[in-house]
Amino acid sequence: MTAACLPHLNVERIGPAGRETVVLVHGIATDNLTSYYFTVAPALAAAGYSVMMYDQRGHGRSERPPTGYRLEHFTQDLAALLDRPDITGPVHLVGNSFGGTVALDFALCHPDRIASVLVVESEPPTDAWAAKMSGLLAGSAHRLRDERTLPWIERTYGRHEARLVRWATPLLHGTTIAEDIAASRIPAEERWRDLEVPVCAVYGEYSDLAAMAPRLERLLPDCRTRQVAGHGHSVLVGTPHTVGPLMLDWVGTGHRAKAART
Amino acid sequence: MTTTPAPRADEAAVLTELTEALHHVLPEIGFEDTPVTMDTRFVEDLDLESIDLVTLTGELGRRYGGHVDFPGFFASLELPEIIGLTVGQVVRYIAGRLR
Repeated sequence: MTAACLPHLNVERIGPAGRETVVLVHGIATDNLTSYYFTVAPALAAAGYSVMMYDQRGHGRSERPPTGYRLEHFTQDLAALLDRPDITGPVHLVGNSFGGTVALDFALCHPDRIASVLVVESEPPTDAWAAKMSGLLAGSAHRLRDERTLPWIERTYGRHEARLVRWATPLLHGTTIAEDIAASRIPAEERWRDLEVPVCAVYGEYSDLAAMAPRLERLLPDCRTRQVAGHGHSVLVGTPHTVGPLMLDWVGTGHRAKAART
Repeated sequence: MTTTPAPRADEAAVLTELTEALHHVLPEIGFEDTPVTMDTRFVEDLDLESIDLVTLTGELGRRYGGHVDFPGFFASLELPEIIGLTVGQVVRYIAGRLR
């Protein structure tokens, strides 16, 4: 895909310009940059970081092309954003859920452009990940064609959860995202063993993904993991007062200086 | 139904500016059937998406410049409060910062 084919992306910048940059990448379908804007982003900006958030293609107020949702398309979008002249030096990448998968994929493709990666409730892209994600997206799209689904979500999970799903419906029904995720380019596993980028991975205690922590520590040469007690997958939005300080600690531990020296 | 007292003169001016900003940044959303008052809830009544709130306050930030700090404003609110945010809360915040 050429630069001319890249969709328009909605970007929000807060915090001082020209400073150490933290780029925040959100999750898939029911997510957008507000997961950061309304939670941890203001604290990062107040601590003096230049914070960049964006709506990934198909999400929020970014363009929603009918096709082009393989993982590598999302990674290319991030690369294009970091080509901006006002982004100087290696950046810290933070990814939530699917956004963490994009961040890890980007780290593998462009290790020289980042100082560190922090992922929240994420897993690296594998064939099993692509099949699972595609199935979840296709299943959601199928269920949403039944008019009883949204009222059921509202009764079961609450009005706001139903609202999030309603906002995600044009992406699920109007694009090829489920098929495209299944067709994503998946990196060979041995490449992860050479990734010389420090990675911190955060999981909720009750999340299905919590078992990923020891696997990621074994796979990546420089990886530490943290567990947030008493929470499931939604740790970013559910516990910003825990995850925010954890992010500040992580980006403040000198990764950028080390990256600049190498 | 709760009714907020009529906005003070400076709040009335901010309400007018906010309404204009809403129409400017979100022209695709029809507000004709729902008059924008101090009690209007952005998400529940106007059916704004949460991302639209960021777009709107970004526009207000451009209009009011350094007087307002919307990331800081949102940082003081929990997510359920943001979902239930009213026009009056934003108007009073801006008017307070202008005094």
